[in-house]
Amino acid sequence: MITGRKLWNKEARAGILFASPVIAGFIIFVLGPMIASFTFSLSEYNVITPLKFIGFQNYANLFDGTDPLFYKSLGVTAYYVILSVPLQILLAFMVALLLNHPIRGKTFFRTIFYMPTIVPAVASSMIWLWLFDPDLGLLNQLLKVFGISGLQWIYSENLAVPSLVLMSLWTIGGTMVIFLAGLQGIPRHLYESVEVDGGTWFHKLFFITIPLMTPTIFFNLVMGFIGSFQVFGQAYIMTQGGPNNATLFYSYYLYREAFEFSSMGSASAIAWVMFLIILVLTLMVFKTSALWVYSESEGKR
Amino acid sequence: MKKTIGLASATMLALSVFMAGCSGNSGNNGSNGNAEVKESSGTGNTASNVGQAEPEKHDPVTLKYTFWGSPNEKKVQEAAIKSFTEKYPWIKVNTLHIPDSYTTKLTTMASSNQMPDIGLLNGDVALEWASQGRIYNIMDFLANDPDVSINDILPNTLYYWEEGKLAGVNGALEAFALFYNKDAFTEAGVPLPPTKADEAYTWDQFVETAQKLTLDQKGRNALDTEFDPKAIKQFGITMPLWAYMNGVVSNGGQFVNETGTEFKLSDPEAAEAIQRWADLINKYHVAPSPTQSKNIPSGANALSSRKVAMTLDGQWSLVDLGAAKKLNFGIGVAPVMKNKATMTLGEPIVIFKDTKHPEEAWMLYKWMMNPENTLELQTSGLWMPVLKKWYENEELVAKWAAGNPAHPDGYQDAIMRNAFENGFPNTSYYVKNLSKVNSIIDPALEQVWLGKTTAQEALSKIKTQVEKELKGVYTER
Repeated sequence: MITGRKLWNKEARAGILFASPVIAGFIIFVLGPMIASFTFSLSEYNVITPLKFIGFQNYANLFDGTDPLFYKSLGVTAYYVILSVPLQILLAFMVALLLNHPIRGKTFFRTIFYMPTIVPAVASSMIWLWLFDPDLGLLNQLLKVFGISGLQWIYSENLAVPSLVLMSLWTIGGTMVIFLAGLQGIPRHLYESVEVDGGTWFHKLFFITIPLMTPTIFFNLVMGFIGSFQVFGQAYIMTQGGPNNATLFYSYYLYREAFEFSSMGSASAIAWVMFLIILVLTLMVFKTSALWVYSESEGKR
Repeated sequence: MKKTIGLASATMLALSVFMAGCSGNSGNNGSNGNAEVKESSGTGNTASNVGQAEPEKHDPVTLKYTFWGSPNEKKVQEAAIKSFTEKYPWIKVNTLHIPDSYTTKLTTMASSNQMPDIGLLNGDVALEWASQGRIYNIMDFLANDPDVSINDILPNTLYYWEEGKLAGVNGALEAFALFYNKDAFTEAGVPLPPTKADEAYTWDQFVETAQKLTLDQKGRNALDTEFDPKAIKQFGITMPLWAYMNGVVSNGGQFVNETGTEFKLSDPEAAEAIQRWADLINKYHVAPSPTQSKNIPSGANALSSRKVAMTLDGQWSLVDLGAAKKLNFGIGVAPVMKNKATMTLGEPIVIFKDTKHPEEAWMLYKWMMNPENTLELQTSGLWMPVLKKWYENEELVAKWAAGNPAHPDGYQDAIMRNAFENGFPNTSYYVKNLSKVNSIIDPALEQVWLGKTTAQEALSKIKTQVEKELKGVYTER
């Protein structure tokens, strides 16, 4: 008994020792800053003057509309998320289905579709700035052929967010690869049994592929949510939040508050609100997942 | 879609605010710096032993000077500082060039107690930091200085945070004027723009000139009934839209009232001026829209490539214009709506309260203020002096504003004298909470430049919102 405990102690010590880089990293780079950021969010702090505690005033300012841009940026971000996540998932899924077929040059196409994902955000933003250019851009030149002209893309209040969603569809490569991996994990014999029963591609898709892919879809959905909520680069590089705050995404709004207006207090409050929103939404997705995500290990629910 | 690490990354974002505060900029003050100090003070001692008998024995002092600017500005400022340390060998100056995110970096340095002793700072930030006690009152130095007095300095280069409390003097003065490609005028048969403020274009003359100089692909100008505004080859004029106060003040308008409590851009004179600027784009099609501007090279290249015939721009563009080889450019005075006016601007140099050597910092401050030590920046066209005598004394004027490619004929009338006599300070010299205020105004004006709404409508709409953020003025202007 005693020796057992001693042994455990020894093992525990060794375990903690080996895990200590991670633990230290977590405390220094995650937990510490979180506590600090929460403290900031309860105070007025512009870095150069000492911190002044003001309780929950920063949060109150956000929610009671004293800061007129809070709801605006929430709305803009929600719009982007709602528009981009389903489209990204749908498109990535369809491309993955196509690329899962034994077609000629499969590897080539997979590479082509994945490539935009490894292009740095700044570079792809520059490319899309040119594509979106109302006068010289490729998109408007193409549309001219169909008699449509003068779309202002990211320079128009109404089209700015859809334009950026369009751009985000260019970088679905990562999602696509995860779908491909999922598709290849589906046992062939299930498809064969559909064939034996006289089913068509339609039956295969809806009764085999999609149900078995739900865990992958679920994963991509959660990742997509979080990624889209934090969209920043496009607003920072391409639109600076404009026109007329139409692309004032939440992260960019936070950045501006912190580094352009030096209000670390309210910026921290904004960050915490975002944290809670993403947390709640992710929990919701997790809760509903039981209804539609197929899980092999737990069997039927 | 971004591939991030889930919830943790959401947290990280919350933390990034803090992290930025932690990662200090451990620039130049390592052990290296100390070694160099010893070295330079060593040579200083030998110099005083051998040469001039210096009665005072100075302890070595190290200053940190931070600044931003183009490679050219960097080079000349560093040279100026080098000659300073040669004259005062016991002072060692570490320069730290921060080309962008300057305020953010300085804020970071402030949070980790690594503040410079002296440095450039954006005007609005300088005023804010000064009112929070982080910057010395330059008046205190000026009061006891035998060489410079406050009356020697141009008023439009002074950043007061309270009456009699001076946060800083500009590194340089800047002002606005017309720059043009002479060939474009000759080919269109249009007389060259006036250079004296008294003879400046009226607004109508200006619009007409711009129309004559705006050409479509088939070479028709904007006055032609067949003119195709969708295929413009050469624009008559471009102007930096953020500098709209040039128009507003010229038309008798204001940004805010004297006490800074009331938003005045929505007043008729101001709104009319802004509308006139917008009309250049959307009504007369003589200026590029904000989106079209993105395809037009800036400054000198716009003129030499004949994408535009005239630019209404800051005088700092002279540095490129003067260096452009194949460009036959000229300078004209800015057009006048009702009053002669040109916006002057510039960012101040400040001495930070964190310094342990205010005396030496002030010595460097004075050094940088004297064009004699930075003459290359003045002759290249980038900077204008901040000391009055460099505008009034013919001999001194000749040293920088004549006889070099960046200062052709007409410069002294169109820019130097106009700035001296008709310059008005831009908003960063006096409006409190300016970045917040501008974050409301800019999106509204964007709609005006795009022709989506009229200036009057857009500005009236944001009046109450702006006034909520108005926190008064530092000093009345």
